[in-house]
Amino acid sequence: MLLANYLDAKAVLFVDHAANKEEIYHQMVSRLHGSADFRISTTELLKLILARDAESSTAYPTGIAIPHIRIEGIDDTLVSVCMLKDPLDYDGIDVTVIVLMITEKTASRLYLNLVSAFIQLSKDTLAMQELKRQKDAHQLISAIKRLGITIKASLHISDIMNCTPITIGPDKTLKELSDVLSNHGLTYLPVVDDEGKYLGEVDILNLLKVGVPDYLMMLDHLSFLDSYEPLENLLEQEDRMLVADIMRTDQEFLSPDSSIIEAAHEMIQGNKRYYSVVQNNVLAGVISATDIFTKVVRA
Amino acid sequence: MTMMLLALVVFAFTYLLIITEWINKMLAALMGGFLVVLFGILPQSAAFAAIDWNVIFLLIGMMLVMSVLKETGIFQFIAIKTAKLAKAQPLRIMIYMFVITAVISAFLDNVTTVMILIPIVLLIANQLKISPIPFIINMAIASNIGGTATMIGDPPNILIGSATELSFMDFIFNLAPIIVINLIVSVGVLHIIYRRGIHVSSESRARLMEFKEDNLIKDKKLLYRSLVIVFIMLVAFTLHDVIHIEPASVAMTAGILLLILHNRKKVDHVLMHDVDWATIFFFMGLFMIVESLKQTGVIDLIAKQIVQLSQHDLKTTSIVLLWFSGIFSAIIDNVPFVTTMIPLLKTIGTYFPDTSINPLWWSLSLGACLGGNGTLIGASANIVSVGIANRNGFHISFKEFTKLGMLHMFLSLVISNVYILIRYF
Repeated sequence: MLLANYLDAKAVLFVDHAANKEEIYHQMVSRLHGSADFRISTTELLKLILARDAESSTAYPTGIAIPHIRIEGIDDTLVSVCMLKDPLDYDGIDVTVIVLMITEKTASRLYLNLVSAFIQLSKDTLAMQELKRQKDAHQLISAIKRLGITIKASLHISDIMNCTPITIGPDKTLKELSDVLSNHGLTYLPVVDDEGKYLGEVDILNLLKVGVPDYLMMLDHLSFLDSYEPLENLLEQEDRMLVADIMRTDQEFLSPDSSIIEAAHEMIQGNKRYYSVVQNNVLAGVISATDIFTKVVRA
Repeated sequence: MTMMLLALVVFAFTYLLIITEWINKMLAALMGGFLVVLFGILPQSAAFAAIDWNVIFLLIGMMLVMSVLKETGIFQFIAIKTAKLAKAQPLRIMIYMFVITAVISAFLDNVTTVMILIPIVLLIANQLKISPIPFIINMAIASNIGGTATMIGDPPNILIGSATELSFMDFIFNLAPIIVINLIVSVGVLHIIYRRGIHVSSESRARLMEFKEDNLIKDKKLLYRSLVIVFIMLVAFTLHDVIHIEPASVAMTAGILLLILHNRKKVDHVLMHDVDWATIFFFMGLFMIVESLKQTGVIDLIAKQIVQLSQHDLKTTSIVLLWFSGIFSAIIDNVPFVTTMIPLLKTIGTYFPDTSINPLWWSLSLGACLGGNGTLIGASANIVSVGIANRNGFHISFKEFTKLGMLHMFLSLVISNVYILIRYF
């Protein structure tokens, strides 16, 4: 099914400038409100959307934001598109296209496929330029139709991963590593060389392991010890040991075109919350269990 | 004749693979075992029938018992208690640990014993800020000495006990006294080597005394029940002559009961981590290979030669066997050696119809078990201990281990030699 067929010209807006999200959402909701049998008012709808937005960001790195809510009893999936001339700031991402979706509580498949289609569209720079040139709703819809984007495509890791993750080099000391982790509030970093080639990964447990010697790991219980300072060793080694000494190099990574279910499967089976996403040996991004949770499950 | 040669070739090839460690020794033994069948040296049924299930189930049973006993925290408790009893003085800790290791490994597998005790010694040495290397080498040596004392302490004894009429108590009566003497001498040696003392600050000592070993016993009820079952198991071993239940069945029953007590539903963890399948299959393969030597007459041939060479002199044969087993086991794994020697000694026994060949069994046991101390690669406990040390940044070289090990092996064999001469001839 073509993405264009899901769009209704009535629900497509062109806005030059908006002070905030609320203002735009209000206009979008008003356009949609007549199209289905809503049991709640536009104000209540707006509140729900803003509340969902506050939970986690709905913006994607390509400059598209997909705010959405699920409500019971509308038995449809409604889409409103807003083209912005002046970008709106979504937690650091400049958003120029907003797609609002209101869908039935149980209809997750269609919703995810729509999201995927919009994200795919937003990544195509030429297509986006073409769309931004359009002046009215009908033109926009026919332009999207010409692009032939279908909504059958499923969501891939590349659609929801963090494309610009913080990384670290193998020759950095543990002190530098611990600074990076601490400054960015991270627990996982991919290790790459100067050309961005993926070398391995390091997480906070690899770092802590330096402070817990192997012989302690061999003991079944440590309950008799309460004065041991396990991190002493870590502090001693911090300036001497390098990321290369502790990183995992087992080549456990995912590819950008893996499906979301594959990522979830790997995470559960490997008991790992983060995976580097690698294509042709080059790091493409990082996907976390939280990405899957917030962008797919809770989406 | 062709079959005889073929059997010898398979045997030699397997041995070569085990010595060179070109492939994993379990794979080598199993491959040899099935080559025997594939070449038609033995029918499959005969090869399978050669597997001594008494040995296999005794090993598995003891592994099951250990898996639960380890969980109770009792061994860590004993180790820490020992260090505290030694008032945190290094030489005293070393001597106490030497004895404790020997005693525990008399009843448990040596490798398991060092795997439980060495991490604790590393921790203690870390707290005392001293090198753990002398402790580690000496504990590996102690586990090999202690393991010789009982029928269940070391694989050679398990093999001999199962293959002969010798009972659990026979092992205790004949081997335990010499092992006690051996331990006393070894402790004397330790005292001489390390008497200059290893200095520790009183602050470090205080840190060690702070250990709260009582916290280790999480489940007192489980511990008491486990100890009762283990006690009954040991009593049943000693009453072997009276109750006529083989050690394998006793150990398996104890193991199963303990597992039920500990965790009725979950066995995956035990099967994956606590039962050493590689060892079990290694034994199985060896039994099959050695059976082919027996069936094709190789064993008979060699036995005849040995008896002729020794001119029917049991005394000389015993002493030669002791030293030969000792030196041989110092260089390679003693399990394949003892598995091969058992049918050989049994055949030799038929040439001495009027006298008991028991001294030969004790010579084989003492030589094979104590010889393991000779070099770093002489016993699995040595390799495992040094491996743990290496992983923790304490590098023990082949030479460093062998210097001390050789000394202990030589002393043990001399003591054993004197003992055999006095007691049996």
